[in-house]
Amino acid sequence: MALGGYGRRVLLPGSDVDLMVLHAEPEAKDAAEVAERLFYPFWDAGIPLGHAVRTLDACLEEARGRVDVASSLLDARPVAGDPALVRKLSTDLERELRAGGEFVDRLHDDAVDRHGRYPAVSMVLEPNLKEGSGGLRDVAMVRWVRRVDDAVRLSDRDAAVLDAAEEFLVRVRSALHLEAGKRTDRLSLEYQPSIAEAFGFEATVGLDAPDALMRTLFGHARDVEHVRDRIFRGPDATRDIAPPVSAEEVLDLFARMASTGDHPPADVVEAAERVVEATPVGPWTERMREAFIDLLAGPHAGRSLESMDRIGALHRLLPEWEPVRCRPQRNPYHRFPVDVHLIRTLEGVGRALQGEDEEPMVALAVGAVEDRRALLLGGLLHDIGKIGRPDHAAIGEKAAGAVLDRIGVGKPTRDDVLFLVRHHLLLANTAVRRDLTDENPILDVAGVVEDGRRLAMLYILTLADARATGGHAASPWRLALIREVVGKVQNVLDGGRGDGPPPTVIGERIEAIHRLLAREDASTVSRFLARLPRSYLLAVAPEVAADHFRLLATPVGRTEVRTVTGPGERPGTYDVAVVAADRPGLLARIAGSLSISALSILSAQAFTTDDGTAIDLFTVEPAFHGEVDEDRWRRFRTTLRRALEGRAWLEERVRERRAHERPPAAPVPTVVRVLDDASDFSTVVEVETTDRIGLLHDLARAFADLGLDVHLAKVATYGPRVVDAFYVRDLEGRKLGETGRVEEVERALLERLEAG
Amino acid sequence: MKLVMAILKPFKLDDVKESLRAVGVNGLTVTEVQGFGRQRGHTEVYRGAEYQVDFVPKVRVEVLCEDGDAQGVVDAILKAARTGKIGDGKIAVLPVDQVWRIRTGEMGPDAI
Repeated sequence: MALGGYGRRVLLPGSDVDLMVLHAEPEAKDAAEVAERLFYPFWDAGIPLGHAVRTLDACLEEARGRVDVASSLLDARPVAGDPALVRKLSTDLERELRAGGEFVDRLHDDAVDRHGRYPAVSMVLEPNLKEGSGGLRDVAMVRWVRRVDDAVRLSDRDAAVLDAAEEFLVRVRSALHLEAGKRTDRLSLEYQPSIAEAFGFEATVGLDAPDALMRTLFGHARDVEHVRDRIFRGPDATRDIAPPVSAEEVLDLFARMASTGDHPPADVVEAAERVVEATPVGPWTERMREAFIDLLAGPHAGRSLESMDRIGALHRLLPEWEPVRCRPQRNPYHRFPVDVHLIRTLEGVGRALQGEDEEPMVALAVGAVEDRRALLLGGLLHDIGKIGRPDHAAIGEKAAGAVLDRIGVGKPTRDDVLFLVRHHLLLANTAVRRDLTDENPILDVAGVVEDGRRLAMLYILTLADARATGGHAASPWRLALIREVVGKVQNVLDGGRGDGPPPTVIGERIEAIHRLLAREDASTVSRFLARLPRSYLLAVAPEVAADHFRLLATPVGRTEVRTVTGPGERPGTYDVAVVAADRPGLLARIAGSLSISALSILSAQAFTTDDGTAIDLFTVEPAFHGEVDEDRWRRFRTTLRRALEGRAWLEERVRERRAHERPPAAPVPTVVRVLDDASDFSTVVEVETTDRIGLLHDLARAFADLGLDVHLAKVATYGPRVVDAFYVRDLEGRKLGETGRVEEVERALLERLEAG
Repeated sequence: MKLVMAILKPFKLDDVKESLRAVGVNGLTVTEVQGFGRQRGHTEVYRGAEYQVDFVPKVRVEVLCEDGDAQGVVDAILKAARTGKIGDGKIAVLPVDQVWRIRTGEMGPDAI
């Protein structure tokens, strides 16, 4: 008799041949002889053979003891010999297995064990086609259960779906055995392209042939799981649930499942499936929307969504979901198909909102979230644009918009969800690809999130996304970097030192500058903008920045100095812009040059780009009455060039000029404050004192002498009173607090100011 | 043969990869690591809560090369990875006894 796969007439290239010689008791000796003549040729030919010689009673005895023997015998088929004996085995065996239901229970336990040891076929890129959930063992199991349990009924549709799935799985497994040249059940990546080709899968937009193969495979595996689960759950008499008759009731049903975690009875699910099939695609009702949102917020949302998927409800009610259903992902980070990843991310968001995420910062972020439904929807939809084309964030925003419109979600939730979909990669990308000791990336993020609320939502989504990806995405290493970004961005959003517009205007200003420079080469403009410190963009009006384009469009040589001068806003004042390669003492020399050119500095702003270019802007007025003409500017430029070559000369001249200055009538008390915690990126030194010739030069010189780099400076004068803020770091980029120099610097500056 | 090992700031990885490719290095290994040196950890603050961070995330890049190429590899990394600010990292060159290519069994410089 043929047993197992041979009995089922499903012999694969790598399969064993399972033969059994069945005999009545007295024929033992003849049976042994038959067995020898039957089995040896196989062994000689090297064909793997499963062999047994048994009496009827022995069969039943062994079937009682072992599930695998029992199921193998269920598949038995006569090859040659006494038909009456075969019939007797069949009837006796079935009677044996029906009694008590133990066989079915053991099949079920065996399945649970198997599913624990192997990943589900529809969930991984290299599934085990036989053992994984949704694989061939599950298919066989369904057939065995049907043989011995009359109560189990398979609808025509389910039977057809199961047949189609089995056929596909068997064909793939056969192709795998042929490709691999050996008996293996794991569909490794290396075999997928050739198998896809052999099956005739062709590449389409966004889905190459191996992906198309896997996607179809996943779909069939899920069908198997669906039928299997229905078989094993059976009619559940313990709860009274009315079968749904409308799409609204279907969603209510699954919302309840998301809340309780209980699967609805099989007949109710079947009814739901029929309703869904009959529901025309269209906009949702309010009740549907509310049920769905409740579903998403439930503790068992993932399980519920998976059940919805199995009956086709998810992509039938939300057509936008279809392109990501069963879609494989092939990169070192993602292992799950896109839809599985989305559902898992949603679960992660839900857990965080319930206070179950172990990251301590998450609980604080949750406290800042106002609109939970936006975050849940954002979690579910964030990768809905992953349909095989580049820039899934932008595509996703459109697809998510379509989903939200269909569901009927209004502003402002809609805006928040689209924000999350559009920017769900922002925190992770910034964390790993940008220098977090530089304020620019942080200001960029602050400009995008605009407030702590959105920052918190984005953080929770980023974490849930990382955790739902598998692999390194949620490693402590990465999460630490992401935390750093979030902390610093929140500080910037809180910080608002009251000077200047919020970071959110950065985007607008960049656009304005693009418009003003529309006649220039676009890529040069983009590069110019990318180099500009964000602090500069915040401090300087777009029109002025556009004027500076000429100064900054090309990189500055090491000894080069570029200046632009022109009338200032108020009559009698002038704006001076100096661009040069940054170096210690540069600001001092420029300020000093202005002073000895009899130009009083009314205000100043100094910036530094990442690539070490200093942008120093001054508003000046002539120290004595009169105009500043081109001649005078030329002389200033000469002075500046000379000052940059030798500092001693400059210092002497500054001292000379100050000697002629009359001291002010009401001197302003000198205050120096060194604030190490005002910014994450520099130590802020605030100076208030009486204005005098060469003051900025002296202060800048003092910083240079202390080995400090002035990264950013803001200088303002109010009559005799000067108020300065300097953002400084040491030459290695450290804040003063890190090296314990706060007091030293404070003292040194006070001394310098009082001596002057 | 040498193993050039560099500890870098994470955001410098792409620049270093490009720089290495430009000098003909086509294979390297990247690991996510943490550590401290003169650059120490710091305290993060978020919504009033403080978190002490002791280690600084870095990436470790390892490149196998022939003896004569090691300096070129080092120079490529130095150029791309330097910011001038604390925490830029370190490069070490380690001697290698032998190298095999697993697929073919080749050994020595052919395996690099």
